[in-house]
Amino acid sequence: MKLSTMWKEALGSLVQRPATEKYPFVRQEAPEHLRSKLHWDLEGCTGCSLCAKDCPANAIEIITIDKKAKRFVFHYYVDRCTFCGQCVASCNKDCIELVNNEWELAALDKDNFELYYGNDADVDSVLAEPAEADVEEPITA
Amino acid sequence: MNTFEALIALLIFPGGIFILFMGMAYEWADRKLVARFQNRVGPRWFQPLADNIKLLAKEEVVPAGVNAVLFTVLPVIALAGAMTAVLYVPMMGLEPAHSFSGDLIVTIYMLSLLTLCMGLAGANTLDRFSLMGATRTLTQLFSYEAPFLLALLGPALVAETWEIKAISHYAANHTWLLLTQPIGFLVALIGLMGKLELPPFDAPEAETEIVAGAMTEYSGRGLALFHLGKGVELVVGLTLVAGFYLGGIANPLLFFGKTLLLLVGLAGVQALLTRLRIDQTVGLWWRYGALLVLVQFLVLILWQGVM
Amino acid sequence: MTSNQLENFRIPIGPQHPALKEPGHFEFAVDGETVTDASVRLGYVHRGIEKGTEGRNYVQSMYLLERVCGICSHVHATAFALGVERLAKVEAPPRAQAIRVLVGELERIHSHMLWLGVAAHEAGFDLLFMYSWRDRETVMNLLENITGNRVNYSANLLGGVKCDITDQHEQEIRTGIDFLEERTAYYLDVVSNDAMFLRRTRGIGVMSPEAAEQLGVVGPTARASGVARDVRVDAPYAAYVDHPVNIVTETAGDLEARFKVRIKELFESYRLIRAILDNMPEGDLTTRMPRRVKPGETISRVEAPRGELFYYIKSNGTDTADRVKVRTPTLPNMGSVLALAVGHQFADMPMLLAGIDPCFSCNDRMVSINAPGGDTQQWTWEQLRQYGIEYYR
Repeated sequence: MKLSTMWKEALGSLVQRPATEKYPFVRQEAPEHLRSKLHWDLEGCTGCSLCAKDCPANAIEIITIDKKAKRFVFHYYVDRCTFCGQCVASCNKDCIELVNNEWELAALDKDNFELYYGNDADVDSVLAEPAEADVEEPITA
Repeated sequence: MNTFEALIALLIFPGGIFILFMGMAYEWADRKLVARFQNRVGPRWFQPLADNIKLLAKEEVVPAGVNAVLFTVLPVIALAGAMTAVLYVPMMGLEPAHSFSGDLIVTIYMLSLLTLCMGLAGANTLDRFSLMGATRTLTQLFSYEAPFLLALLGPALVAETWEIKAISHYAANHTWLLLTQPIGFLVALIGLMGKLELPPFDAPEAETEIVAGAMTEYSGRGLALFHLGKGVELVVGLTLVAGFYLGGIANPLLFFGKTLLLLVGLAGVQALLTRLRIDQTVGLWWRYGALLVLVQFLVLILWQGVM
Repeated sequence: MTSNQLENFRIPIGPQHPALKEPGHFEFAVDGETVTDASVRLGYVHRGIEKGTEGRNYVQSMYLLERVCGICSHVHATAFALGVERLAKVEAPPRAQAIRVLVGELERIHSHMLWLGVAAHEAGFDLLFMYSWRDRETVMNLLENITGNRVNYSANLLGGVKCDITDQHEQEIRTGIDFLEERTAYYLDVVSNDAMFLRRTRGIGVMSPEAAEQLGVVGPTARASGVARDVRVDAPYAAYVDHPVNIVTETAGDLEARFKVRIKELFESYRLIRAILDNMPEGDLTTRMPRRVKPGETISRVEAPRGELFYYIKSNGTDTADRVKVRTPTLPNMGSVLALAVGHQFADMPMLLAGIDPCFSCNDRMVSINAPGGDTQQWTWEQLRQYGIEYYR
C-alpha cells in the first residue's frame, strides 16, 4: 500500500510532450489498410448488382443504361457508407476499391455526399433525368 | 486614506478587476498543470476568460420552486465576500489595502462566506442533486473549518498578533514557519483544497455522483460569479499560506514564485489522489487533521510559555 | 420533512447523467448518504435491431448486429457468423478462425482498457483514466491497421474473414503487445497498491459466489466472485479449440477483485495473441457461403469482454433470417447492481454500476409479457404503429 502509486509517471509527464494529437495542424499518415472512400472501376463490371444487394447501408445503386454495351452508372452515397468493405468482398470482378487516404469526408454541402462513377456521357444522362421530371411537372403554388 | 484611494483599492487594485483576472489566471494555471500531469495539452490561456464571458452573457434560468431573490443574491454575496478578503492580504507582496488588529479572523470568515453561500444556494433549490451537494458542502465546511482556522492561527500565535500584515512581516524576518510548523502548513494547504472543493475533496460536486452538487441548477450569471469567487479565493488562500508559512512575500517576484510553487503542489495532489467519499473526508479531518494541528498548537503554547 | 418524505428521498442517476455515457435510469432511495433501496428502468435506447434483421439478408444483418455494441462489436459479428455458418453447414477455414479470435482478443484488450479508464473516472481518479486511455490508443491503432476501421471493425464475412495478417502486421502486433503488457503490469500495481484508490474499491460491493450464482451474473463480474464461468473454456468456439484459455478468477468478490480480474485477463489475452501468431494456420481466408440458408435453428454462444453473449438464429430457407434473438451480458449482470446497492454509500453507486461494465444500448431488448390470465400481449405491426402515433399525439 502506497499513498500514491503514479507520482513518478505524473511528474515525468510535466517534462514530457503531451500525448494529445494536434490533428488539424499535424496530420498523421493514414494506416495502409484503412478503409475510406470507395472508388469504382467501370472496366470489368458486369452489372450483377451484388454490391448493391449486400450493402448494409444502401449506399450503392447500380443504374443500368445498357447492359449489353456495359454502360453502367455507379451511384455512391458517401454519407450512408459505413466503410465495412462488404462490397469489395462481394464483387467478383474486383471493380471496387476502398482507398486508404481519402478519409476526411466532411463537407458543408449535401451534394458532396452523392457521387456518380461511370462514363461522363452516361453520368450526364442520369443526372439529366430528374431535371426533366421537374419540367414536366411544374409546381403550381 | 482618502476616498479616491479607497475607490481604487475597491475597484481596480487589489480588489475589483485585478483580482478577478488574477483568479482566472490562477485557475488557468491550475487546469493547465493538472492537464500536464495527465499528459494532456490542457486549455489555452484565455479559456477561463472565455468561459466566464460566455456564462455572464447567457440567460440565467431561475428554476421553479426557489426563492428567486436568494437565488440571484447568493452568488453576488459569495463573490463580494471573497473580494473583500483580498483587501486584507498582502496581494502581490505589497502592503494590504486595509489593516486592523484581528483582520485575520475577518478574512477567514470572508473566505468561508463563499462556501456558506454555495451550501445555501444548493439548499434553496428543489433539485435533488443540489440538496445532496448542499448537505455535503456544509458537512465538509464543518469538517475542515476548525483545523484550517487552527492552522492559520499557529503563525498568529508565534507572531503574537492577529493582524495579517504583522504576521507576514514576522514570517519574513524569521525562519520559515514551514520548518517550525510543518503540520500547520500541510493542514492549511489541504484545508485550502477542501475549501475550494478541489480533488480529492470534491465530493460536494462529484461529477459522476451528483452532477455539479449545489451548483446543478445554476447557469449563466450565477454560475459565473461562483466560479470567479472560487478563483479569487484560490489566490487569497495561496497568498495567505505563502505569506505565513513560506517566509513572507516581500515583493511581486517572491509572491509569484511562492504562490505558483504552492499551486504546482496543489495541482499534483489534485491529479494523484482519488476522490474521497464525504464520510472519509470528515473522518480524515477530525481523526488526523484536527488532532495533529491541536497537538502542534499545544506544543506552540507550551513553547511560548517556556520562552 | 416528515419521516415518510425522508424515506422517499430518491436520487435519480440517468437517463441523462455524467456518470453514465448511455441512457439508463436508476433510482436510489437514500437515508443521508446510505442507500436504502434501488430500482432500475431500462429501454431508453431500444433500437429494434432484432426486428431489423428480419428485413435484411444475412450479409446485411451481420453488419447491423455488429452495431449492437460499439465496444465489443466484433464478438457480435462473430457470434452471428458462427451461428449462420452452422445453419448453412459451412465451416470457415482455420486461418479465418484464428484471425477471428485474434481480432476478438485485441478487442477484449481495448474493451478492458476502456473500462479501466471509465471505472477510474467514476472514482474520481482521472490520472489513471487519462493514462489508460492513452495507452489504449496502441491497440486501437493495431485494430485500425489490421481491419481498416477503429470501431465496428467489420473483420468478419459469412464464411471467413476479410483481413489477412501479414508479416508486417505480426511484427506490429508483437511490438504493441509487448508495450501493453508492460503497461498492464503497471496498472495492476496501481489498482492493487494505491491506498487512496483502494479506499474506494476494497470491500465495496462484495458479492459472494452463492449470490453470484443466484443472480446469474456472467463474465468478469462472476469470475471476480470466484465463479469460474467462461464460454471460451466451457464451450470453446473458433480457434479457442486449439488455443485453450486459462480462466482467471478472484475470490474477494468486491470492486477491487473486479479490477484485478479484468486486468489479469489482459495478460491472458496477450498470451493467446502470441500463441496464435506463433501457430497461424496457412490457407484460405474464406470459403464459399450459400446465399440461402436451409431451414433450421441454432444457438451461438461466445464470450464477449463483458461476459456470455447469446445468439439464437432461426432460418427459413430464404436469404433472410426468420428470427434473431440476442442476449447481451449486461442484462444478467444488471440485477447484481440492485442487489448490492442497498447498504452502501451513495458515492459508491457510480463505481458499483461501472463495476459490471454496463452497456445499455446492447442491453435494451423488446420483451413481450404474458399476462397471468393467459392473455398474450402480442401486437401486430399495425397495432404497434397505431400505438406509436397515438402515444406521440
